[in-house]
Amino acid sequence: MGLRWHHFALWGLFAVTLFVLPEFVSRGTLRTLIFANFLAIFAISWDTLSGRTGYISFGHPFLIGIGAYTTAILTKRFDVAMEISIPIAVIATMVGGLIVLLPALRIKGSYFALVTLAMMELIYQLVQVIRPDLTGGTRGMSGLPTLTRGAVNGYYMSVSLMLAIALTTWLVMRTRLGTALSAIGMNEEAVSGSGLSVTKLKMAAFLFSAFIAGLGGAVYIHYLGSIAPRALFDINFVFTIIVAALIGGAGTTVGPIAGAFFLTFLLEYLRPYLPGAERYMVYSGLALILYMAQPKGMWELFFQGIAKFDRLGRRE
Amino acid sequence: MALLEIENLSAFYGKAQALHDLTFNVEEGSIIAMVGANGAGKSTLLDSIMGLTQTKGDIRLDGTPITAAKPQDIVVKGVGYAPERFNLFPYMTVRDNLLVGAYTAREDIETNLDMIHKLFPRLEERENQETVSQSGGERQMVSLGRALMSSPRLLLVDEPTIGLAPKVCLEIADVLKRLRDEFSLTVLITEQNANFALSLAEQIMVLESGHLVASGTSDELSSDERLAAAYFGH
Repeated sequence: MGLRWHHFALWGLFAVTLFVLPEFVSRGTLRTLIFANFLAIFAISWDTLSGRTGYISFGHPFLIGIGAYTTAILTKRFDVAMEISIPIAVIATMVGGLIVLLPALRIKGSYFALVTLAMMELIYQLVQVIRPDLTGGTRGMSGLPTLTRGAVNGYYMSVSLMLAIALTTWLVMRTRLGTALSAIGMNEEAVSGSGLSVTKLKMAAFLFSAFIAGLGGAVYIHYLGSIAPRALFDINFVFTIIVAALIGGAGTTVGPIAGAFFLTFLLEYLRPYLPGAERYMVYSGLALILYMAQPKGMWELFFQGIAKFDRLGRRE
Repeated sequence: MALLEIENLSAFYGKAQALHDLTFNVEEGSIIAMVGANGAGKSTLLDSIMGLTQTKGDIRLDGTPITAAKPQDIVVKGVGYAPERFNLFPYMTVRDNLLVGAYTAREDIETNLDMIHKLFPRLEERENQETVSQSGGERQMVSLGRALMSSPRLLLVDEPTIGLAPKVCLEIADVLKRLRDEFSLTVLITEQNANFALSLAEQIMVLESGHLVASGTSDELSSDERLAAAYFGH
C-alpha cells in the first residue's frame, strides 16, 4: 500500500500532541496516561495476531508474563542489567511462546481461544509452585530496578515506546506481509490457494505479536518496579486488552490505541463511584453498545463522522 | 506437448473417495473444460491439482511431479487458481486482493497489473473499492486477476460463469480466449454450463460421480445421444 506525506504528517501531529501533554495535565492524569500507553502496546500486540488473522487469543498475558518474569528474575535474582535483561526477555517471549503456542495455531476458532486461555492459567499456576524462590511465588516480586522515576519521565518513556511500536506496526502492516495477514483473517483457504504459506504467515504474525508483548511486558514491570502474578494473569486484564482492540477498531493500528485510551480513562473515572469489579460490568456494557453500533470500532465511527461532515460541507 | 499430466488420480475426504483413477493430459496452449453436475468432483479435481486435498496417483507439471507439493510451491511452479465463488478477501480493495496473488511473483507485479488492467479495465477504475461492494461479474474478474498475478503457465478456473449474467459470461469467455491466444496460457476450467464449455474449449471431459466418463471435442461429444441430452440440452 502506498505511503503518502499526509500519513506521516498525521503521525507527527499525534506524536507532538502526546509529547506536549505533560505541560497541560496533572500528575494524576499522567499516571493514568502511562497505563493507557501500556494497555495500547498490549492491545496492538493482541491485534497483530488476533485482530489481523482472526485467531482470537485469550491468553495474551501468557506472552506478556514470559517477558515480565524473565527480566524480573534476571535483574532481581542474578543482578543482570536491564539493558541486557530486557532484550533477553523479548527473545525468551518469542521463543517460549513459539514452542508452546505455535502448535495451537493449527487449530481454529473457539478451540484456539480455549487453548490460549488454558496456557494463561497454566503459567499462573506454574509461577506459584515451580521455584518460588525465583518467581516469588504467589506474592510475586517487588523492589525491581526501575527505568525511570516520576510521572513525567514515566510518561515520556511509555509514550515513546508506544509510538515506536505503533509506527513500526503500522509500517509493517502496510507491506505485503501485512496485507497477507489481514487476508488470513478474511479467508484462510483463499490465501493458501493463492500460493502463500499460511503456516509461515501465522508464525510471522505470532512472532511479531510476541515481540511486542515481551517488550511491553518487560518495560512495564520495570516501570512498576514489581510483579504480581494475580494482577498479570487476571481474566479482567485479558478482557481489557481484547475490548480495547475491539472497540477501538480491530485490524487497524490506531484503533487499539484509541480503545486503550478510552477504556483506561473510563475505568479510572468510574473508580470513585464503583471501586470494585462492578466497574467492569459498566465498561463491558458500554463496549457492547459501541460494538453493536459499529463492529469495526471507534476508528470506523470516526471515519464515518468525517465522511458525513464532508458530505454536509459539499451540500452547502 | 502435455503441460499437465494426470495419471490414476484419486482424491479423498477422510474415508470418502471423491475422484476415482482419473487419467488425462492437458496440452500446452489449449483450453480444456471439465463438465459435470453438482457433486461430480470438478472442484475436488482442481483442489487436488493445487495440493489442497488428500490424493493418490500422479500429477506432473511439465514432467515434474507435483503430487505431494504444497500449494505455495505449486503456484511458484506456474499454476494459478481461481476457485469457485471467487473466494476473495471481502474487506480489501481490488488492488490488495490482486497483490495477495502476487506474493510469489515479486518482479512481475507491475507488468502483471498492467496486463490485468488491459484485460479488465473495470478493475483499474475500481482498484480502491472493497470487493464486498462489487457485483458478481467484477468479483469473478478480481478472482481471475488474482490468479494471474503469480505469472502462471497453467490457469485453473472453477466454474467461471456460476451465477453470472450471459453478457458477463461472454466477457469471461473472451478473456480466457485472449489468455490462450495472446499470452500462450494453458487453461483448465470446470463448468456446469456445458454450452459455455462447448463455445470455448478444444477438448471437453465429462465427470460423473468422480469418474471420467467421456472425453473429446465438442462435435464428438455432441454426437453422443446420452451426453447430448444430459449436458448439452439437445
